[in-house]
Amino acid sequence: MQVSPKIAILGAALLVAASLTGCAGGGGNNSNSDNGSSAGPASASSGSSGEAAGSKQPITLTMLAQRSGQNGPYKDMLVFQEYEKKTNIHVEWTDVPASGFAEKKNLVFASNELPDAFFKAGITPTEAIKYGTSGMLMPLEDLIAKDAPNISKLFEQYPEVLKALTAPDGHIYALSDIVTLDNARIGLKPWINRQWLQKLGLKEPTTTDELLNVLRAFRDNDPNGNGQKDEIPILAADLGSLVGGISGSFGLQNQMGYHINVDDEGKVKVWLADDRYKQMLMYLHQLYQEKLLDNEIISQDQPTWLSKLNSGKVGMFYIQEGAAFEKLKDQYIGTIPVKGPNGDQMVGSVAPIARSFGAFAISSVNKYPDETMKWLDYFYGDEGSIFFRFGVEGKTYHIGDDGLPYFNDDILNDPRGAGNAEGQITPYPGGGSPEWINDKNSSGINSPEGIAATERLQPYLPKKVYAAPLLDASSNDRLDNLRRDIDTYADESQAKFIVGNLSFDKWDEYVNTLKKMHLDEVEQIYQQAFDKLYK
Amino acid sequence: MRYAKRTETAVARSSGSALWRRMSTRYDLYLMLLLPTAYYLIFQYAPMYGMQIAFKNFIAAKGIGGSPWVGLDQFTQFFDSYYFWRLIRNTLSISVFSLIFAFPVPILLALLINEIGSSRFKRWVQNVTYIPHFISLVVVVGMLGIFLDGDHGFVNQLLKEAGLPAVSFLQSPGWFKPILILSNIWQTMGFSSIIYIAALSGIDPAQYEAAMIDGASRLQRVRHVSLPGILPTMTILFILEIGHLMNVGFEKILLMQNQLNMESSDVIATFVYRVGIQQAQYSYTAAVGLFNAVINFILLIAVNWAARRRGGASLW
Amino acid sequence: MEKSAPNRAAGEKAFDTAIYIIASVILAIVLYPLVFIVSASFSDPGEVVAGHMWLWPKGWSVQSYKLVFENGDVWRGYLNTIVYAVVGVCVNLVMTVLAAYPLSRQDLPGRNVFMFGYVFTMFFSGGLIPTYLVVRDLGLVNTMWALIVPTAIATFNLIIMRTFFQTIPVELQESASMDGCTNGRLLLSVVLPLSKPILAVMLLYYGVAHWNSFFNALIYLNDHDKYPLQLILREILIQNQATADLNDPNFADRIMMAESIKYALIVVASIPVLLLYPFVQRYFVQGVMIGAIKG
Repeated sequence: MQVSPKIAILGAALLVAASLTGCAGGGGNNSNSDNGSSAGPASASSGSSGEAAGSKQPITLTMLAQRSGQNGPYKDMLVFQEYEKKTNIHVEWTDVPASGFAEKKNLVFASNELPDAFFKAGITPTEAIKYGTSGMLMPLEDLIAKDAPNISKLFEQYPEVLKALTAPDGHIYALSDIVTLDNARIGLKPWINRQWLQKLGLKEPTTTDELLNVLRAFRDNDPNGNGQKDEIPILAADLGSLVGGISGSFGLQNQMGYHINVDDEGKVKVWLADDRYKQMLMYLHQLYQEKLLDNEIISQDQPTWLSKLNSGKVGMFYIQEGAAFEKLKDQYIGTIPVKGPNGDQMVGSVAPIARSFGAFAISSVNKYPDETMKWLDYFYGDEGSIFFRFGVEGKTYHIGDDGLPYFNDDILNDPRGAGNAEGQITPYPGGGSPEWINDKNSSGINSPEGIAATERLQPYLPKKVYAAPLLDASSNDRLDNLRRDIDTYADESQAKFIVGNLSFDKWDEYVNTLKKMHLDEVEQIYQQAFDKLYK
Repeated sequence: MRYAKRTETAVARSSGSALWRRMSTRYDLYLMLLLPTAYYLIFQYAPMYGMQIAFKNFIAAKGIGGSPWVGLDQFTQFFDSYYFWRLIRNTLSISVFSLIFAFPVPILLALLINEIGSSRFKRWVQNVTYIPHFISLVVVVGMLGIFLDGDHGFVNQLLKEAGLPAVSFLQSPGWFKPILILSNIWQTMGFSSIIYIAALSGIDPAQYEAAMIDGASRLQRVRHVSLPGILPTMTILFILEIGHLMNVGFEKILLMQNQLNMESSDVIATFVYRVGIQQAQYSYTAAVGLFNAVINFILLIAVNWAARRRGGASLW
Repeated sequence: MEKSAPNRAAGEKAFDTAIYIIASVILAIVLYPLVFIVSASFSDPGEVVAGHMWLWPKGWSVQSYKLVFENGDVWRGYLNTIVYAVVGVCVNLVMTVLAAYPLSRQDLPGRNVFMFGYVFTMFFSGGLIPTYLVVRDLGLVNTMWALIVPTAIATFNLIIMRTFFQTIPVELQESASMDGCTNGRLLLSVVLPLSKPILAVMLLYYGVAHWNSFFNALIYLNDHDKYPLQLILREILIQNQATADLNDPNFADRIMMAESIKYALIVVASIPVLLLYPFVQRYFVQGVMIGAIKG
């Protein structure tokens, strides 16, 4: 019986190592073995009890924050470092990358290891209600009234924001950002190729029929002059943005974050089974069939869409701003929504002023709620919102000729990209921060072209945009249940109708199926919520 | 402490003391199992109380234990879903087609590699077929999009050359499953074949020599020596595969999914993902997961029982 | 089925030819997308997305690699991952052998009870939250052990290993036990030396699993400094894909760059593991079993 001694020794070593749950060969000297303190909850502070503002006693708060792709570590952000000097409040950040943030947030709640506050946390309405009513999140309305003059002022100015944030039990459990910049709220502006129009001697279309003719001319007359019929008359990232872009011409809006119209009497209508919706689908089907609409709209990914957008082959598309087609900016002009067969002419989807719900919340373990609220409120003021967005004047930004703040060139020309460079200074890039976005602090997302396009769209904006309402727990559960099937069915049918896999003979069947899925109950739930909040 | 002869174990022993003797002489084997069993108890069994949320309405603030019981509500919700049968049908058909078409491929590949004479070429084939395992699904699906594009993808270019009409592969429900399974085979065959290659290398060369002396051709040697040599591994992997019938990898399907191929691409896993992500319904997703697990486990037990009765390799 | 010698030689030759043809076809089919990826990583992403690049790089560019390696975190990510993988695989191998060997012994009473108990966990688990609580209560959060201990055994691998152990002829073990070996000694001096191929497979499978994993790191690690490579690479990708932000004047270029980075990341992330394979391959040579016994 002979054994290779080498193996015997190795094996023995492994067995010994096993008993120590360690490993002989592995690197024990790694810094990672240090069992350091994790950012635990409520590790607050040497400070005095929750006394007052201006207290010179330093305070420490723990916050769970979401790190978007562009964001650097929060603790290194200039904005927070500077802000700590101003406020004497130190924030211990647990900043989690966006790709795992949802899980981490769930764990924090489920294991009851709450931080003092949640920042850029995307707390969903469902979560706000569940955790708020069960006492894990602190009601904020009194704190806002007492400690947050800026937020209070915005609530007064835009009462719909207050309504959108208030839960059915009357409490506010989470705050959103507040977007009063119209350009940023219209994410699907129609842009049309004015060079092509000029070349073909056409006018900007004003009706759906004219639009059809213009698109046909784009398709057939080689406006890009390369001798090939490779033009894409109308392009969209996906069906959702196409429908969102054009729905206003058929009188369809997207109120309360769903396929909903609200009329002047306050009647809520979910239009998924509506004849006007059918009309729109038939129109889009025609576009698809005549190859006026990019035929890969359903399977293409985002890079493919963007590469088409910048290929110089596109006649018309829906998008917020000029940055996505920077190089072809001169070719396109922001146009107006066309008038539909029933005389409707408006912008169908406009984001509510309270745009990103759940941007900030305070947990019940927070010992300094007043200080926390004061700390936050600054970002909703004139000065603070510029500070939050741009950092320190001279160091990271300067005031331009128009009196607006602009980032310094070294940031805009950073080899990592401006967004990433800004993300090292402020959490703003990536969106969803608790802040006020207005025309004074948004030079970057408010180009002259965008402003001009917004200007032209003003007459066509809906009078009011209602945000998705907060529902009580049982209605919320019921709605989730109903929408689980309805949304899948409606999305799928929409694509099939447009592409032609489902003929319009089957429309009644479609409507009946939606009925069977209790579409009327969905409408009812939204109606009740509307009546409670906005009436 | 001595290794007991296997024949000895075959003798039925009903008396308790004999069993005790057999156990005590092998106490060191139990000692070896100590650490692994501790691992399973601590990291697998201790958290299992979490399964109860399938029967509860989980509210984080109240914890797993404190959330209210709702009985089978979550399950009936799933069963009552408009799409329940479609999800089951798609899940099972993808699994079964994979079992038929994908499962044998690594075996055939291993046998093929085993038969390659030149050791350099052999190494090449092994190395290259193993690489796709490391390619992220996003890229695999991205490449499918580029290759199969309805207009300028090279597959459609070839079809055009051949005078055939272009096919919009990615938007057609009929093509979804073939594309999914074929690309899965491409990605996994090399990595999965490694197990079989290892098993093949465990076969005693004397068996091949004996077969050669008996005048067996190469193909016959493959059939009568190689194949039986890896049969236990094949059987075990087959049993485990059956135990996964209700689970299909969802990430790739999700990436390939669009509104037009939904009718053949929507599976339980993608459905649960949509619900879980959009609505954070832990109890519901736990219930669906448990439903899957129970069916999988029952299937596994049945197949294992059958394998055992036939005298082949089995899990227990 | 006797055949004449020349006939048989011709048959062998035909068989060989068939093998080579099939293998070459497989090689080509697998190779094409791989070449495509490498080429794409060196190409102008616009050309790739538009479908203009077929085989060789078009619009040569190493920009994506520059972007990846400019990020200093990549090297630390490599180091972290190597440490996690080496330590992790050691633990995996020891634990898996400790479980697989006793369970492979037909003469061990109760082995099926253990096996059933282990396999059960492949199907039923308590979910993320209770597992997290266990890891936290053991004080493993934010340490490398959180990535190693909770995944100490993959039951699938355990089963594969046990199956291999069972194919080792019983006679070999019996003769050793006649010599007075204890079971521990038997494992170390007879079974393991005969099991080099399966140990190599396990090394590979566990190693690759550690190499590719990122989810546990995301959940259990708080310090960015401890992030493994895959997490860093994901961050780089997402950083360049982040689209919510329209205020970047180079927005479109950046999205395109993300496309290119996607391909480059595969090259960057997989080269080290690809280097591992030839090393492991050495143990797949037929006849190891006999060789080891003869010493």
